[in-house]
Amino acid sequence: MNQQSNVVVAASRFSDQAESRIIEAVKAGDMQAYEQLYQRHVGRVYALCLRLTADRALAEDATQEVFIQLWRKLDNYAGQSKFSTWLHSVASNVAISYMRKQKSWWQRMFDIEDVELKDERPAQPGHQRDLELAMQQLPEKARIVFVLHGVEGYRHEDIAEMLGIATGTSKAQYHRAKQLLREWMGHE
Amino acid sequence: MSKHHFDQQIDEQLAQLPNEVQPERDLWPGIEMALAKSTQEHIQKPAYKNWAPMALAASVALVAVLMFGLRPGDQGQNLLASLSAQHEQQKQALLVAFKDQPALTDNWQQQLSDLDEAAAAIKKALAEEPDNLALLKMLQQVYQQQINLIERVHTPKWQQI
Repeated sequence: MNQQSNVVVAASRFSDQAESRIIEAVKAGDMQAYEQLYQRHVGRVYALCLRLTADRALAEDATQEVFIQLWRKLDNYAGQSKFSTWLHSVASNVAISYMRKQKSWWQRMFDIEDVELKDERPAQPGHQRDLELAMQQLPEKARIVFVLHGVEGYRHEDIAEMLGIATGTSKAQYHRAKQLLREWMGHE
Repeated sequence: MSKHHFDQQIDEQLAQLPNEVQPERDLWPGIEMALAKSTQEHIQKPAYKNWAPMALAASVALVAVLMFGLRPGDQGQNLLASLSAQHEQQKQALLVAFKDQPALTDNWQQQLSDLDEAAAAIKKALAEEPDNLALLKMLQQVYQQQINLIERVHTPKWQQI
């Protein structure tokens, strides 16, 4: 192992130890430590919420909800997995549950998302910024599955459990998302 | 370009997506306030919640109409009048309930007014076609958006937890 990678490993270990100390402080009720934990992870959590919701205001609310619930759930974190991995799993579940709650009774009744036509096609994507925009244009169900599987790397079995759908449905929605992206990107 | 090439291109772009995106506003104060509040005693149910059964009744009436159809004549007009009246009562009750509470955004009244304009335009169209169910649904959605907006800017979501 060369000197540079030694430095990277040492820095990572130091960062993990610092985070462990912060987590212990938070578990003891230290709000300042919790703010530090928030500052460390808000960017990652918000990115997830923004991609899932495709709505800035909703993503902000969902991010707040994640950190409010995290405060209560932190005692469940036993340190067996990396904290960021555990947090990401908590964040995905809380964000999805939050989105469900935001859907009004009226929307659920008529499932507006299914009849909404996404006419606005994004510009031809040439880099990742355009892919972000194209993902936002996807219908809700296809977008959520695409983000969870394509971006976050969840298995379809896990996504099915999170969303309360069949594994086949998750795969079908992912396929639908990719097909739409392919059409929008002019690869028909 | 082949499907395989496209899949490869998507995979490459997905790998390049940034892991982090910073929110445009500081979300911490809201979280801190929510956590502080959650330790307090359970907040009393606000008075405006008394309007919920009325709003539900109006919605149920509309659903019944949407399911079983409208008879030509006054039925559409009556439903429109009933929906609008109950929505106005609910909206006013909310505005009164929240009048002393600071709003979380500055332009919510402008947004409310934009939704008022949208509702007025739909009602104008309904005057021409009182039995148009799609318009009635649209109006109901605009009303719901107004209620959501008022609640959202005055009561952060953490209060619902």
